[in-house]
Amino acid sequence: MKTAGLLIALLLAAAAAPAQQVKWNFDKLAARASDTVDVSLSGSLLQLAAKFLSDDDKDQAKVKKLVVGLKGIYVKCFEFKKEGEYTAADLESFRAPLRSPDWERVVGVHSSEDGENVEVYMKNEAKGIGGLAIIASEPKELTLVNIVGNIDLDSLSELGGSFHIPEVEMEKKKP
Amino acid sequence: MNLEDELRSALRRREPSPDFTARVMARVAAGPARTRPRPWIRWAAAIAAALALTAGGYEYRQYRGERARDQVLLAMRIAGSKLNKAHKMVQTVSHRSNS
Repeated sequence: MKTAGLLIALLLAAAAAPAQQVKWNFDKLAARASDTVDVSLSGSLLQLAAKFLSDDDKDQAKVKKLVVGLKGIYVKCFEFKKEGEYTAADLESFRAPLRSPDWERVVGVHSSEDGENVEVYMKNEAKGIGGLAIIASEPKELTLVNIVGNIDLDSLSELGGSFHIPEVEMEKKKP
Repeated sequence: MNLEDELRSALRRREPSPDFTARVMARVAAGPARTRPRPWIRWAAAIAAALALTAGGYEYRQYRGERARDQVLLAMRIAGSKLNKAHKMVQTVSHRSNS
């Protein structure tokens, strides 16, 4: 009886636990990358950002809608001066946390022509999508995205095609 | 009266009053006189400090908000472009397999 109660309590606690960001360790890659983009926005900052997104601007209004259900956005983008700066083992270490039963790989595409790979993972929760993770690798670039919370993939994909904001400015690594 | 007499008259020695020493010693014993600031100066200083803090806080919040907005836009652009790429790659593969 006690064990059953404990089990129920644990299950309830797990269901009530807030969505967590994926634990990725970037230390090795950060040391090798020539340029890095790092975006790390937790829930409170996201809500603050939403207040500053304009309803009049078409793209910003779309983002504002998307951000409402989110609890965190974490993006890391590494650029390397030459190929081979990251290994298959590095990629495997990023896939490892996504092997839990909560996560499901929904897309995995590989282009042998230009050596591009994109893997899209979704976190399933009782209420719907609990998060999104993207691992996109190119010979000289590696991008990792983790969005925590309920996200509309179609709207997000639309944004990637028609965003009228300046090109990504890579932060130059200090020597 | 010429100038010399006038000066002599002005600079002549005068004896202090008999209670002069007592009065000086009493003042020394009492310590330095404290001047209390007027109440309105305190209030004005407090209001000015509160206004400065409020304005500073507003500016900081504005800065943080705008920075967070730019970061959200950048993150969404990167995430969107990668999803878009995956979508296009899937379409290319399905076109090839259909033809």
